[in-house]
Amino acid sequence: MKGKQVRLSMKTRHNMEGYAFVSLWIIGFFFFMAIPLGRSFIYSLNELTPTSAGLQATFVGLMNYREAFTTDIHFLPLLIETLTSMLTQVPLILIFAMFSAILLNREMIGRTFFRGIFFLPVIIASGAALRKLLEQGVTQLPIFNQYGLYNQLSNFIPEVVLEPLLEYADALTLVMWDSGVQILIFLAGLQTISPALYEAAKIDGATSWETFWKITFPLLMPMIFVNTLYSIVNSFTKPDNGVMNHLLNVVFRSNDYAYGSAIGWLYFLFIFIIIGFVFLIFRKRLSI
Amino acid sequence: MKLNTERLTRTVVQKVDKQKVATYARKTKKIATYISYYLLLLSLSFVFLYPLLYMISQSLMRPQDVADATIQWIPKVFALENYAIAFGAIDYWKGLLNSIWISFGSAILQILSCSFIGYGFARYKFPGKSLWMALLVFTFLVPPQTIVVPLYIFFSDLGWINTLFPFIVPALFGFGLKGALFVLIFIQFYSGLPKVLEEAARIDGAGAFRTYWMIMFPLARPAMIVVFLFSVVWNWNDVFQPNMYLLLPEFFNLAQNLATFNGNASVQGMSQAQQTVSTQAAMSMTPTLLNQIMAAVILMILPIVILYLFVQRSFVESIERSGISGE
Repeated sequence: MKGKQVRLSMKTRHNMEGYAFVSLWIIGFFFFMAIPLGRSFIYSLNELTPTSAGLQATFVGLMNYREAFTTDIHFLPLLIETLTSMLTQVPLILIFAMFSAILLNREMIGRTFFRGIFFLPVIIASGAALRKLLEQGVTQLPIFNQYGLYNQLSNFIPEVVLEPLLEYADALTLVMWDSGVQILIFLAGLQTISPALYEAAKIDGATSWETFWKITFPLLMPMIFVNTLYSIVNSFTKPDNGVMNHLLNVVFRSNDYAYGSAIGWLYFLFIFIIIGFVFLIFRKRLSI
Repeated sequence: MKLNTERLTRTVVQKVDKQKVATYARKTKKIATYISYYLLLLSLSFVFLYPLLYMISQSLMRPQDVADATIQWIPKVFALENYAIAFGAIDYWKGLLNSIWISFGSAILQILSCSFIGYGFARYKFPGKSLWMALLVFTFLVPPQTIVVPLYIFFSDLGWINTLFPFIVPALFGFGLKGALFVLIFIQFYSGLPKVLEEAARIDGAGAFRTYWMIMFPLARPAMIVVFLFSVVWNWNDVFQPNMYLLLPEFFNLAQNLATFNGNASVQGMSQAQQTVSTQAAMSMTPTLLNQIMAAVILMILPIVILYLFVQRSFVESIERSGISGE
């Protein structure tokens, strides 16, 4: 009887302690996430007119949401553009990051030096500095414009094919600059793979190609998942993202809070659906 | 007999030769892979370093250097005029101070709070844990722009506009810039630590918080370094939040000053096509202005590059030891 009571109270105490640690986040969640999200949803259903007594709200239902798809000429094209750039960039980022992480994971001279360089983009390529560089066109490698390489190539390749190719090459630089964090995550994943596995594979006569597909790739699956999530969210919330900037324009230039909130919610739902897809795709893979 | 010995010697010689050839082939193959490997690394490094080198070289050029066709990369005289102009244009000292307050304040608070929260998630099984974990991932997915209006109204009602509070208070609760990600990093780290340490501490009579603070928190140094660096850098470069909550020029941080340098620098709500047009427009700008902007960008990223150089080694090592393996 007594023992049971003690065990119960142990369990309760354990739960209490757990909540004591997590409660900090729960409070934050209500103040900085749940309540603002709810409020922005309520705003999006209203028409807000600034008066001397603050914002005056009149209920209009889904009008703002309809407006996004009918009267707003920018929203849908920007959304589609965001989606396409995500779909092209994220796979490239993942492939490049994995490639780099495997390169950097090898024992070699000057490894720390190379790692330092590969993480530089994390330091520089975010926010204001990146935007400035984009404006100046620094992110594009000049090799194609200098040295007349473009003209040289256009002799061999028709321009219809060449233009997208060159754009792709430019995008590749941006992709490289965007994959700093992903390289880190993959590296951390590679560190956790036990060397014994590789030794066993080597003894069994596996080529490095086979080793990659049979050992490295499956064991990196959780990291691939995390990186996919991270890359998608990152590409949707980049400082040069069209939808984001459009939203800010609506809110702060035309002071249309209600409509801005509606766009924000639509965008959030859009991201949520895409992330849901990713979860579905990885669900089968991760439940090994 | 004679024939036999001859054949024998021939085969022996052939065997030796084959072995030699094989070892040579292996050696050359090894060297070739090494060379190609380093070439690959170096070329990738070049792509990473190129914008930086370009910026540095451009920022040192005077108008006559830009006009001089013989000068590609290295100007004849290292002129610091651009830096002097940029220094004043982005109001360097004041901006630097504001940036330091925001990013270092956020980073330190985020380490304290995210580590605390992450430990709770990693080590305790309480009812509703999976729900809160799901919500944690959920917060990472909500774009900050979605909740920007209510947050702005909330903070302005509290009278926090033009103060540090909108940056520091969310950080204190494990939010702020990418807070969810930092919590996840700490969860990951603490999950990898052996339970024996805590058990020993608890048997010795330390409470839950004391165990955390005295034993576990100091062990989380690798995770701390990663979170600290990320938090500082992202806050340093962020323009969105400061633009929301800091409206008076005297409170502007460096990123904001840089964005407003040369008038309408942050062109908003543009499609990619328009962006390229504006890029071309920027390219055809008066060359001196471009060089001044480059100097300004360098001035802005200089402090974090210096910080990075200092913590780089331990940062890279932190990633190596994503957890203490085994017991």
